[in-house]
Amino acid sequence: MRAVLLTLAVLAALGLAGAVSVVGLGLYNVSAHAGHWPGVSWILHTTFRNSVRLRAPSMEDAPRLDDPDLIALGAGHYATACAGCHGAPGVARTATVRAMVPEPPLIGEAVESWRPNELHWIVENGVKMSGMPGWPVQGRGDEVWAVVAYLVSVRERMAPALPANDGAGVAYCRTCHEKIGGPVPRLDILDAEYLEAQLDLYASGARPGGIMAQAVSRVRKDDFGALARELAQGDAPVFARDAPRLDGGDGAALARRGNRDVPACLACHGDTGKGPALFGQSQDYLTTQLKLWRDGTYVHDNKMHAAARDLTDADIDALSRYFANSAE
Amino acid sequence: MKVQKNGRVARFRPVGRQFGFVVLLMALAGCGGGQSALNTAGREAASIALLFWVMLCGAVVLWLLVNGAFYYVSRIAPGRLDTRHARSVLIGGGIVLPVVVLTALLAWGLSILPDPRRPGDGLVVRVTGEQWWWRVEYWPEGAETPIVTANEIRLPAGQRTEFRLAADEVIHSFWIPALGGKMDMFPGRETMISLAPERPGVYRGQCAEFCGASHAWMAFAAVVMPPEAFDDWLAAEAADAVPPTDEAALRGQEVFLSEGCGACHTVRGTEAVGTVGPDLTHIGSRRTLGAGRSTVTLENLGTWITHTEALKPEVRMPSYALSEGDLADLTQYLKGLK
Repeated sequence: MRAVLLTLAVLAALGLAGAVSVVGLGLYNVSAHAGHWPGVSWILHTTFRNSVRLRAPSMEDAPRLDDPDLIALGAGHYATACAGCHGAPGVARTATVRAMVPEPPLIGEAVESWRPNELHWIVENGVKMSGMPGWPVQGRGDEVWAVVAYLVSVRERMAPALPANDGAGVAYCRTCHEKIGGPVPRLDILDAEYLEAQLDLYASGARPGGIMAQAVSRVRKDDFGALARELAQGDAPVFARDAPRLDGGDGAALARRGNRDVPACLACHGDTGKGPALFGQSQDYLTTQLKLWRDGTYVHDNKMHAAARDLTDADIDALSRYFANSAE
Repeated sequence: MKVQKNGRVARFRPVGRQFGFVVLLMALAGCGGGQSALNTAGREAASIALLFWVMLCGAVVLWLLVNGAFYYVSRIAPGRLDTRHARSVLIGGGIVLPVVVLTALLAWGLSILPDPRRPGDGLVVRVTGEQWWWRVEYWPEGAETPIVTANEIRLPAGQRTEFRLAADEVIHSFWIPALGGKMDMFPGRETMISLAPERPGVYRGQCAEFCGASHAWMAFAAVVMPPEAFDDWLAAEAADAVPPTDEAALRGQEVFLSEGCGACHTVRGTEAVGTVGPDLTHIGSRRTLGAGRSTVTLENLGTWITHTEALKPEVRMPSYALSEGDLADLTQYLKGLK
């Protein structure tokens, strides 16, 4: 018995000494050139694959991934956030990126081996110790589908060309807000004060949005005011000019008078209130925002937080449809 | 506390006695005031109070008898009782007396038990328990649309009023102790109670079923009025809000509309048509603010609007951050909604 204890004590002491040498004395070589011991790469990669498979979300919550607006939005985000490391059809990578360890896979190769829900998990969560970051904000898995839609289009060799993002100022904003409908809101109906406040909220993370967090991080904070003023005076985007006006449906009564669970939207979003204008806004965008308020992902305005609490899915559909399709 | 000569601390019985006296006084204080089932103002409450007093007196008599008997056998005449004697005491006091007393009490109690479903004299008041306030609708006989108000119930003395009760999300209980017993309010199911108040005065109603964080702050004023005064009041309550005239109140109305208060609150005669929260058409003439939370003064209105969530935990209304000027104007407007 004593011999056993003694052996264990000696082994523990040796282990401690080993740990002290590696961690404390810096004996382990962290050089990217040093590579892994044989087998380690296989273990790491297999762990990664199985971990993603286990955790990938169900496709039930996924929107239609062949929606051109969604693909275009994903392409816009991909262009500034992802293309630098993963390249894109027709976009080369720098020698430095190619020297990363592990090397970020070229997008054309990467999408071959994953299902859409697995891509969603990877884009939302990132991969530990690989250089792949997670989505810039938490709780916005809904946004990640835009990138997944773009990635699927890459796999199917149907991807649109990435937008050129060399434009400064509003030209950069208009890459998405001028040309894409669906999940992207139009800005011409909003006032400059509101727009500037939103840029601040996105920049501080108070309004969680990964795509806009990425976009505003490329703009100087001092320019927010000027940008907001220019955007507020812009023309109506293409989708709003050409869209056929549908029947507003039965959301009008709810918007005007509310009910016992839902406050009257127009008390704030009508002529006299202080809320942002909603008439003519993109229906998809409104639906998404209302759900974010209702589900408590958005809490940056206590009135809207309280107002949306009891909305049903049917209410949200009716209201989005009403505001998107009515002039007033 | 005194230290005795032998070093022991004297037991502080006198302090205990004073404490007991204070507790007794505090308990007795609950028997008076506007929310006492013993300070009755209606027929239902009167029969409940009568039943209480009769049972209390009976209980005192029985207690004295039982303890008297115990004292007799243990102190006055200890030792074996004569068997015949003991048997008659056991059968008489243990079986016959309880059967007779309880049967009589049951029969009498049932005979005076207020019938909650007794039809009223015409006026129907619908009350919905919300979190944490009371939605109140008056339906006078033959009315097609109700007169909507909140957090205050006025009743004509000498008439029987029917209450139709419901709840929004969770179970509440409607109780005006001075007027009668309580009745639970359920989401999706209507319950009923009818009350016949007799003595005009101001009483207090309280939710009597735990309903969440602000259950204790879910109260209302129950005002019993002479019938003519009640009719005048109801006619005034049915009218639209009086438009503000002084400048501060006019500015306050603009603040009310631009801050979006009308999304949840109705002020009849204005654009404010929301129905999520209490109707504010005549908030200025109500006795309480925030369902019994405080009284309707300019200062309390201001504190309520800016600290709603602190005053009423988990309330649905968000606290508002307003400039001092806007707040002063807004409270002037609300106070003026008589």
